[in-house]
Amino acid sequence: MWRVLSAASAVSVFATGLSVATEPSKSLADIPSLVEQAAEAGVQHSYTGPWEYYVGGGGAAFDCNGDRFPDMALAGGAGPSQVFVNQGSAGGSLKFEAKTGALPASALKQVTGFYPLDFNNDGHQDLIALRIGENLLLEGNGECAFKKANRNYAFDGGSEWTTAFSATFEAGEVHPTLAFGNYVDRSAPGSPWGTCHDNYLFRPGKGESASFDKPQVLSPGYCALSLTFTDWSRSGRADLRITNDRQYYRGGQEQMWRMEPGRPARGFRRGDGWQRVLIWGMGISEADLDGDGFPEYALTSMGDTKLQTLDSDDDPLRPTYRDIAFEKGATAHRPYTGEELKPSTGWHAEFADFNNDGRVDLYIAKGNVEAMPDFAAFDPDNLLLMQADGQFVESGDKAGLAIPTRGRGALVTDFNMDGMLDLAVVNRGGPTTLFQNTGARYEGRTRPMGNWLGIELRQKGGNRDAIGATISIKTGNHVQTRKKQIGGGHASDHLGFEHIGLGVAERATVRVKWPDGTWSHQYRVFANNFVVIERQAKSARYWYPTRSK
Amino acid sequence: MSPTRHAKFGQLGMAGTVSTFALVLMLAAPSRADPWDERITDRSSDGLKLSGALSPSELAALTNLGEHLFVGKFTKLDGAGRPMATQAIIPTKRRRPARSSIARLPGPDASACSSCHNEPVIGGAGDTTANVFVSEGFTNANFDTTDPQFSNERNTNHLMGAGLVELLAREMTVDLTSLRSKALKNARETNEPVKVDLITKGIGFGHITAHADGTVDLDGIEGVDSDLQIRPFSQKGVFTSLRQFTVNAMNHHHGMQANERFGPRWTGEADFDEDGVTDELLDEEIAALVAWQATLPAPTQAKPENVQWLSMSAEGQATYVDIGCATCHVPALPLDSTIFSDPGPLDMAGTLRADEAEALSYDLAMFDWVKRLPRNKDGALMIPLFSDLKRHQISDQRTAHFGNELLAQRFVERDQFQTTELWGLASTAPYGHRGDLTTLDEAIRAHGGKAAHASQAYASLSEAQRDSLIAFLKTLVIEK
Repeated sequence: MWRVLSAASAVSVFATGLSVATEPSKSLADIPSLVEQAAEAGVQHSYTGPWEYYVGGGGAAFDCNGDRFPDMALAGGAGPSQVFVNQGSAGGSLKFEAKTGALPASALKQVTGFYPLDFNNDGHQDLIALRIGENLLLEGNGECAFKKANRNYAFDGGSEWTTAFSATFEAGEVHPTLAFGNYVDRSAPGSPWGTCHDNYLFRPGKGESASFDKPQVLSPGYCALSLTFTDWSRSGRADLRITNDRQYYRGGQEQMWRMEPGRPARGFRRGDGWQRVLIWGMGISEADLDGDGFPEYALTSMGDTKLQTLDSDDDPLRPTYRDIAFEKGATAHRPYTGEELKPSTGWHAEFADFNNDGRVDLYIAKGNVEAMPDFAAFDPDNLLLMQADGQFVESGDKAGLAIPTRGRGALVTDFNMDGMLDLAVVNRGGPTTLFQNTGARYEGRTRPMGNWLGIELRQKGGNRDAIGATISIKTGNHVQTRKKQIGGGHASDHLGFEHIGLGVAERATVRVKWPDGTWSHQYRVFANNFVVIERQAKSARYWYPTRSK
Repeated sequence: MSPTRHAKFGQLGMAGTVSTFALVLMLAAPSRADPWDERITDRSSDGLKLSGALSPSELAALTNLGEHLFVGKFTKLDGAGRPMATQAIIPTKRRRPARSSIARLPGPDASACSSCHNEPVIGGAGDTTANVFVSEGFTNANFDTTDPQFSNERNTNHLMGAGLVELLAREMTVDLTSLRSKALKNARETNEPVKVDLITKGIGFGHITAHADGTVDLDGIEGVDSDLQIRPFSQKGVFTSLRQFTVNAMNHHHGMQANERFGPRWTGEADFDEDGVTDELLDEEIAALVAWQATLPAPTQAKPENVQWLSMSAEGQATYVDIGCATCHVPALPLDSTIFSDPGPLDMAGTLRADEAEALSYDLAMFDWVKRLPRNKDGALMIPLFSDLKRHQISDQRTAHFGNELLAQRFVERDQFQTTELWGLASTAPYGHRGDLTTLDEAIRAHGGKAAHASQAYASLSEAQRDSLIAFLKTLVIEK
């Protein structure tokens, strides 16, 4: 037996009623120092509005001007959306400038979230705007300016209350398939109770240009708050997983739709192995935590966060899942600090390696819906750091996240290109927070964390960012995987370099399974570099985040 | 005495939190409280407090401990052995416990550093009996055969002058990365690709092409890693620093695991190798080992008393240049600064880094053996290592001897090796990376690949000329 110092977190879980008084576990892995500096960085933004904006509140982190530094588009709810252009330098303080005129008038208001996607394959990042009202396809011009392009692609943005999005490139398709998740149908009798709106699936048609004129209605809808295309079965086909808010549905549950090429999407049923799970689903993130090639899923909710792992060895696989949140110490069910003993409300979820130790951590944005008395009012965001034994240890307070905000969507990316993941959080009814990761907390100062890589994939033709690709990173006997995805989280996502912590490995072997299923040869790269892998290139290039000025 | 006795060092904190290197180095003098104590590591006294720039006496105290650890035969009480860890440089668990505490092939294969590094002095090279079997230690880590599909057999290198070698590599790395930065800046400003030859200290490492978008095409680099970092240690040139080498070797050869890589911060365990001992090697003990190695005197060129030898060696030295040996075995490289700092500036996580602890520094120029080295017209110290610190392909179909390994080490192809430093050559027979060549004549003739022209030129020399060349090489000695 190994003698492992990181004791499994043993805390109470509302779902079980178990209550054990113990000292919380302490992370042996580095705890990142996340320093809030939105104001100093020039990010002044809020997500505000009445009831319709209790949910949503997200943004996109992406490179809208071709300098590879992540810029941001942030939803403002009833207030204005904004685009922030990254003006920082590598390793320097975070610095942004709000760009006026970046968005058309229709994208300035009633926006609940943004997702980045180069949907027209021109090499410039575009945006999908989720709105209360017409959703928008926004073409980027490479200079962080966007114009509405719904008509160009026969896209009917509808008038629903849209709160979720994901995109994929189906087999053989040059253009993306888009899925929009909708919340309550406010016009239906009896609204909001039991009046969830249907969701929509837009496949691109067969023309030279995408044409989204024949959407499929994904019915019934159960008030989706996050959805993601996911290759759950390692089949090469991404199905559509949806997490739904039980607050308003009747007879609903979590959902997943089978996406067979050329056939309408079809919901998985009990007979397929899909089990009925009822949660206040708010956000989805996936990662292959156990290295078996099949993703685990974090599903945020009110109370317990769910952490699901595939519980099937049938052939063919059945989408039957088992919850492992408790055994992994990842329930994050109530505030880890403060006096309140009330359940939390979780929103954005994201697996990412915040401390570069080679193990993915789990960030969860938290925040009361508005003033729900049965739920914690002070509900700080979580940073669950994975330990060497695979357990998660809550470290949000020590990292600097225990502040009284109402988090919703979040952007986890390396804004200042220093090899450490930073964090922007869109908060409801308050300023957006922006945390710079300044290194590992250590004896009153910070010190550098583990080694890392940033990996960008490029391919010619359609799907230039290789959405749907799998990146396999091998260091010694340790293999990590990352999926290039657009979707999930809570109304938020990022596109750009995939960040991988390497721990003490000084080099890594990288292979790419491109979206069409073709594996690349091995790329040998040294740690602490940004790596650009062009499909079929003999060797990877390194990218250096210098600016000419 | 309990093998877990390191737990008694409560004054240093609990396991995993020992980090006294941060600002002040706490060192125990290498003296045992009890003569019968069977440990090498000794933390029983308050020790010395060292930080920043070291005086000669402070450095002497540090190297004294370093030597003690270098020659000391580690015991199970120190933590020798690694029953549940492999020799891998990334902490890696065995699947099942090792059957014995020592294992000649996969290691731990030695009790002391000096059991191999001992010819002609401690810190020197080793005979073939001291060969090691290098495997990455990830798969088939517990091999029990010398079959080359499982490991590369390597002769023991000497460490003399290693501090100067590391300093050269650091400066060369700075030069190469500066060239890259300038090319990137130029490319951005001109919006055109910029090709730049990578030359440092007169050594060319191919070229890179910087693009306006900040990417760098690396297909043209030669003999250096893609991050342009010169890694001067091991026969392949794959270790950045004496510190990294020491941490690797301590685990591989002795099962002594340094906290800075195998401690709880990275592994989650205080006793990663599960031998019952925690804190096997503290940061400051690695620092002592580094200091001792870094201050080992450089080999010299002897001036033979034998008049004929003297005459022949002069002729041979000219021939050495004429036939192209000096193209790669460059007689001397210029060094600008003799200040050695530890932790160094280039190490990555897993080896203590400069940002993690206040560096100790010492000026190697304080030593007479450094003062005796010549300087070039620019005032740079000329380090006579007879190497370019570059990797070359040195075998081919026709001359295949040096291509006798089946395993690539790290990212270096099997037929590539870093140019062997010839200083100390005459004191470190046998030759070749496997130590399987008994004469210099054989070793020279074994050069193929990019060195084929030189070995062919050597073969075409008259016997007298060949003797002269070898007479010259025989002047490159490690002083006893």
